[in-house]
Amino acid sequence: MLEHMEPSELKLVGRKALRVEGVGKVTGEAVYVSDMALPGMLHAQVKKSPHARARIIRIDTSKAEALYGVRAVIVGKELNYKLGLYVVDKDILAKDEVRHYGEAVAGVAADTIEIAKAAVDLIEVEYEVLPAVLNHMDALKADAPLVHPNLGKYDYVPVFSPQAGTNIPNLSKLRKGDVEKGFAESEWIVEREYTNPSVQHVPMETHVAIVEWKTGDEVNIWSSAQSPFTVRNLFCYTFKLPLNKVRVVVPNVGGGFGGKAGIHLEPLLACLSRKAGGKPVKMRATREEEFCLLPCRSALTYRIKTGVGAAGKILAQSLTLYWDAGAYADYAVNVTRASSYSAAGPYDVPNVKLDAYTIYTNKPYGTAYRGFGHVEFFWGLERHMELIAQVIGMDPLEFRMLNLLKPGSITITGERISDHSGDPAKCLEAAAKAINYGKLTPQEKAREERTGRKIGKGLATLHKAPAMPSFTATAAVVKMNTDGTVIVNIALTEIGQGSATAMAQIAAERLRFPLDRVKVTIEKDTDKEPYDWQTVASKGIILSGNATIMACDDLLKQAYETAAQVLRAQAVDLDHDAQGIFVKHRRDRVISFPQLSVGYAFPDGNAIGGPLIGVGRYIAQGLSNLDKETGQGLPALDWTFGAHGVIAEVDCETGEYKVLKVASAFDVGKVINPDIVRGQAIGGMIQGLGTAICEGYIYDEKGHLLNPSFTDNKIPTAQDLPEEIETIAVETAQLDGPFGARGVGEHPMISVAPALGNAIQKATGAELLHMPIRFEDVWRAVNAKEPIDNWITKTPTGSCRSDPATRHSSPDSAALP
Amino acid sequence: MLHKFRYVNPGDRSELLDLLAENGSSAKLLAGGTDLLVNIRGGVQRPQLLIDVKKVKGFQGISWSVTDGLVIRPGVTINELLRDATVRDKFSLLAECAHDLASYQVRNRATVIGNIVNASPCSDMAPGLLCLGARVVISSKRGERELPLAEFFTGVKKTVLASDEILERLVVPAAAVGARGSYRKLKRIQGHDLGIIGVALMKKDGLISLGISSSAPTPVLVTGLHEGDAEEVLVAASRKATSPISDVRCSKEYREFMIGTFVKRLNREVK
Amino acid sequence: MRVKLSVNGSVYEREVEEHFTLLRFLREELGFTGAKEGCGAGECGACTVFLDGKTVNSCMVLAVEADGSEVETIEGQALNGSLSDIQAAFDRHHAVQCGYCTGGMVLSVKELLKRIPKPTVPQIKEGIEGNFCRCTGYQQIIEAVLDVSGQAESAGKGELKHA
Repeated sequence: MLEHMEPSELKLVGRKALRVEGVGKVTGEAVYVSDMALPGMLHAQVKKSPHARARIIRIDTSKAEALYGVRAVIVGKELNYKLGLYVVDKDILAKDEVRHYGEAVAGVAADTIEIAKAAVDLIEVEYEVLPAVLNHMDALKADAPLVHPNLGKYDYVPVFSPQAGTNIPNLSKLRKGDVEKGFAESEWIVEREYTNPSVQHVPMETHVAIVEWKTGDEVNIWSSAQSPFTVRNLFCYTFKLPLNKVRVVVPNVGGGFGGKAGIHLEPLLACLSRKAGGKPVKMRATREEEFCLLPCRSALTYRIKTGVGAAGKILAQSLTLYWDAGAYADYAVNVTRASSYSAAGPYDVPNVKLDAYTIYTNKPYGTAYRGFGHVEFFWGLERHMELIAQVIGMDPLEFRMLNLLKPGSITITGERISDHSGDPAKCLEAAAKAINYGKLTPQEKAREERTGRKIGKGLATLHKAPAMPSFTATAAVVKMNTDGTVIVNIALTEIGQGSATAMAQIAAERLRFPLDRVKVTIEKDTDKEPYDWQTVASKGIILSGNATIMACDDLLKQAYETAAQVLRAQAVDLDHDAQGIFVKHRRDRVISFPQLSVGYAFPDGNAIGGPLIGVGRYIAQGLSNLDKETGQGLPALDWTFGAHGVIAEVDCETGEYKVLKVASAFDVGKVINPDIVRGQAIGGMIQGLGTAICEGYIYDEKGHLLNPSFTDNKIPTAQDLPEEIETIAVETAQLDGPFGARGVGEHPMISVAPALGNAIQKATGAELLHMPIRFEDVWRAVNAKEPIDNWITKTPTGSCRSDPATRHSSPDSAALP
Repeated sequence: MLHKFRYVNPGDRSELLDLLAENGSSAKLLAGGTDLLVNIRGGVQRPQLLIDVKKVKGFQGISWSVTDGLVIRPGVTINELLRDATVRDKFSLLAECAHDLASYQVRNRATVIGNIVNASPCSDMAPGLLCLGARVVISSKRGERELPLAEFFTGVKKTVLASDEILERLVVPAAAVGARGSYRKLKRIQGHDLGIIGVALMKKDGLISLGISSSAPTPVLVTGLHEGDAEEVLVAASRKATSPISDVRCSKEYREFMIGTFVKRLNREVK
Repeated sequence: MRVKLSVNGSVYEREVEEHFTLLRFLREELGFTGAKEGCGAGECGACTVFLDGKTVNSCMVLAVEADGSEVETIEGQALNGSLSDIQAAFDRHHAVQCGYCTGGMVLSVKELLKRIPKPTVPQIKEGIEGNFCRCTGYQQIIEAVLDVSGQAESAGKGELKHA
């Protein structure tokens, strides 16, 4: 949409602009749910399971109920509801069985948080500890305990394929070409297995909500959530309430990263409020609860077998992804589905066989996390490309360039890549150039001499499309005030990504108004904002951007119609500037926007028109469901391609390393706001470095999470920045994007880890297959010691490497077929 | 923090010692609070009374004299130590240790003595203080006793302190002036982190001392080494004194390797 | 226990429970919600305030310990409706995304610039090391600090490039 506008014609789009909500945030005035208190508000706490899997024999809440100030106590068996995004498998509180460490078994609402905590401590729970299934590869074995014996009876969204009688809530498949023929024709076959553990999103504001369930089933929810309409929708589905009874309000959100995409604390608080006579009930998760009561990102085991022809072209890929959902399916089934059409990366592969399993285990459950699976599988894929290049004796950059998607290529789901799909090669070239790929500069050589450390450079590509239903829709409403300023109502939440500012720039550009005449609402309210599916998937800029343009056009059309009558001109002869609408050939015949804003009154009192309110509705176009057996179809609204180049400096004796530079390039179609694009790029890159360097859940052999805090789950600090950062935009216009733009919220986090792994391998020869890449992992790889994917010796728990006995073939098979 | 307790902030030493004698094990001394309040929040400690030592007259400040050495009192924060000119000039090893402790805000609050009495195996201050031959002066209503810091720790988070005692002064002897030393800490990230291991190495008068943290139930001191000893001798001594474990931060094997490596590298670097 | 302290120059006197942290007291009793709780354990710095001129994690200070003290919070930085220089630089450089860490971050920068008026990049990184930010990746914060400390030429390198 409007993709051909010359940059010189654009006054606001593509230019710098301050964040529309920046002042409130730098002054501390911005209000978050964690800051809110309502009259009579109660405070909730939950009793959590100390076991990974156990039968609940007895819960005695009598002492808790007797405590002064306790207003409601709830246990699972009194709640006859099921929750679930795609597979409806979760109780609000565990009922007969707890399925993960930290799962809530009882809830309390009390006058103070101290009383609530004391009451929780007084609740007695008797458990019969059951054998837990902790390793997702073990969960596939025939004798594995079933995390959900009733899987076959659960409701589910039909695009998924739960396997009754197993621990597999979804299996997504893809078949393209003839993979056996491809392998037979291959000169080389390279097979490896890549792994990564679960990680936490770590929004600085933990999950928090306030809920009041008032008389007549009027429910008000204030939540630190990404998707108010999804909270409302899932809430009403669970409680069988009409949508107009439930109102969800989302003010400022202290970070989401996917962890707040679904529904979390709201149903429990609602039940507590209802039981406490309708008083508002608040709960804010502690940082420790954020790690185990609330969801994380799934672990992955990714097996890749690739056949390469004599000229270096990839001929066949057999891809198997084992996603560790944890105890509930939540988003993991859809991450699995997204991986089934994306996990081959931005490469042209004629023959593909892909199987992606979602697997239940007795661990905290996985949900959406920035990148929606791509961070995890690109770790394996882009390390694999590096190892293939090494095996076949080709430079990794050359090997990638040879195999990248280009116009005319057919993706693994059968989509034809066009000139407008974005340019992965240009991104990779830009990243390579920015790090002087393939050689060390004289300064770098001097640095090696000085420090005794080795410098390595690595590259990795990436791509991602929004993972969303084919019919994903949104709307925007633009309302003019009597002074000619406008309010833009959209339900796309501002969680830090800067979309409110981008939408203000788009609206102001389209209206030809200065930016300060446009306000985009920050607080979202399902009673006031028009529908939006969710704030996820990097889909906001295209869908809400287009809806906003259409709403502006609708408002202008109404204004022109009234103006035409006032000015006694044909609408086609009218034009406008920021002040008003005028007759093109008679510039003195003009009517101002304030005069038109709520209808025009003639001097004699007669009035025409009415309030100017533009509505824009946009729905994803041309997407189709994927065939369940072959995975063929059109799942992608748009592909954003990108690449990272990393320079790392490694102490080959100890495995310690430092990231010297990261250069990232993304084909964003059109930059709406350069500072916001750069902020997303760097923020995502550092979050990606966290995943690459240090983050990950560690369990003991009983399934207790051992590092649920910042003490032993480090995230990057300012000291962890690379010495140099470079961010590059490529602009291949997206024909259906607003001003040609496409999303880039998640992409910067993808493929940082393999680019780092490739740089470390270049410096040391270390063949790293597991992320995060801890210093010890490098040391072990350099010294050919058996790798550990868990620091707890002799405990496979938390492991995501498969038992060697279950592997199809040796991971070292880099031989002729 | 949801655990309730009482709070007192005595103004003079005898009042403090009375309070300690009366309340004993149900009380905890509060200085910077950066360990104690974390423990109370986490339910690890549940004291009934917190006795704030920061307002006690005479408990503030660092002093230096050739006769008394460097005297550090309970109110001295890590950042105060870092700002102290004597520490910077004469005891740079201590400054190095202090600089590696947590973040700036925490250093504004955390105290040097708190880092010692907390008796964490991963104390950052202990390795340097052990090398420098620091002594502790312990007071109670019953009187005062003094012993080497090396004899202060008795186990993980355990010390010789009785429930009515306070570590009132940490003394670095003037004889330690002129020592050359350095501290190296292995962390998981570049930013603030607990040590996976920490090694201080000090050379003075032909002798070498090692102070090692995160590698035994207590921070350990290794003495009896000489400048000119082969690297293998130093490494063997460090290995003999330590007993690292595998935990969420790293494996025993890597800890052992890194202690040896840091000892060797520090020995080369400290001239 | 009765506590009397000044916050941003105004005196407050309240009865407070001994186990209340200064953070909780500021937020829930006095309404200074600009200081946030990110971890409650002194690791993340979202609760940073000035206590008698020094930055502290207010989640690790008891309200009763602040009796008689001067406290300064993010709410005290903008005067008469104008942002402080540091706040304005944060706004200008997009050093803010979700905003949850921002208040603490601004105060840590203020302390840094009091000590070191023209900090180097490594000094800036060390100065804000105790303030976690999960959104920005810190770079634009560092550029804001360079700018506000009169080193705009170094800050200016941080532009999005076009291939």
